[in-house]
Amino acid sequence: MSQSRRDRASTHQRVLAEQQAAQRRRERRLLAGVVGAIVVVLVAAGIGFQAWRTHRAPDAGTLTPGPSVPVTIVDGQPVSWGSPGAPVTVDLYEDFHCPHCAEFEEEYGQVLADAQAAGTIRLRIFPMSFIDAGSTAAANAFACAAEAGFGESYYTGLFANHTLDWSDSQLVQLAERAHGSPVPAEFSTCVSQRSHAGWVDSINTAAATAGVDGTPTMFLDGSRIDIEALNPDSLTTKIEEAARP
Amino acid sequence: MIAPRAQPHRFDDWAPWISTLARLIVGGVLLVAGALKVIDPQSAIAAVRAYELVPAWLERPIGWGLPFLEVGLGLLLVSGLFTRAAAVAAGLLIVVFLIAVVSAAARGLSIDCGCFGGGGQVAPGQTSYAGEIVRDLGLLALCGWLVWQPRSRFALDHEEQR
Repeated sequence: MSQSRRDRASTHQRVLAEQQAAQRRRERRLLAGVVGAIVVVLVAAGIGFQAWRTHRAPDAGTLTPGPSVPVTIVDGQPVSWGSPGAPVTVDLYEDFHCPHCAEFEEEYGQVLADAQAAGTIRLRIFPMSFIDAGSTAAANAFACAAEAGFGESYYTGLFANHTLDWSDSQLVQLAERAHGSPVPAEFSTCVSQRSHAGWVDSINTAAATAGVDGTPTMFLDGSRIDIEALNPDSLTTKIEEAARP
Repeated sequence: MIAPRAQPHRFDDWAPWISTLARLIVGGVLLVAGALKVIDPQSAIAAVRAYELVPAWLERPIGWGLPFLEVGLGLLLVSGLFTRAAAVAAGLLIVVFLIAVVSAAARGLSIDCGCFGGGGQVAPGQTSYAGEIVRDLGLLALCGWLVWQPRSRFALDHEEQR
């Protein structure tokens, strides 16, 4: 092979290699653009997804509407359910926007409802509102619902839909599910006028007085229960032990 | 007799493994942190609001968008795609988090950083700013390593492309 032919061959190879490298760089730039666009779309879609999750209408499926007695709303006093003569008192401090409270309800709501139905406990609900404006609106609407006589199913619905914003229209929509249509006009007014705003404040004060600094907090006959160390069976046992004369 | 391989080669042997480890740690932390914040949209906004750093209209886009950015960067780092660019972006994000936490501490706020979901006000004395800052500095150091040594094992990036 002559010198010049070898040169031509190596030049040819070099040109080929450069072309391939340029091709790879173009592909790489294209891929970078695509991946960058995917990340931007992911973030935008994520914001849209969360907007949908918080603005949609409440679910109906998880509710078990039952007849409940209208409750009189008294400043500083919780909403209480169950027989006044029940041997055990359970105090619950929760915020309707607190995710751990929603988990608590999912895990222990049935145990408490059963004990209440059996006449073993009197359940006293202190809806605190420290997370955001939605907490306050929901606590007010809860008082409106309790007063109108569908507090228990409304309470279940608030926690079953805890990711919602709790705009006034969502709070009324939930009442349509919990109470059935049409919703009493007084309820809608009570929600939009924040009729129980004073009571909501008084519950926050009562919680501070009781030394409650987080939610969910539960007291069984006045003694604080460590929820972290609890399971549904041990809660049942604790209630049964407390109910023994 | 053949001479043993010279010392300078050894760094090139183990550095890609360190980079793989750094990718998995930073990417894994970002994935977990992002996912935990996606679960609860209300807490995500409350966590941003607690810092008192951005106007109200920005609380939602940040509270809802940032977790998905973390997930996206986490996926890039874990898979080893565009490692250097992803490490630069993750590093910048961590610097922003650091500034936010340091400023919260300096202003005497009592908040949870909301780094892994949750967030918002906590009782005075319940804050853990020092731990949060140390963790972020550690992650920042790993990002710095990846910017310097983006080549790693088990990565989608090609050898010559980084």
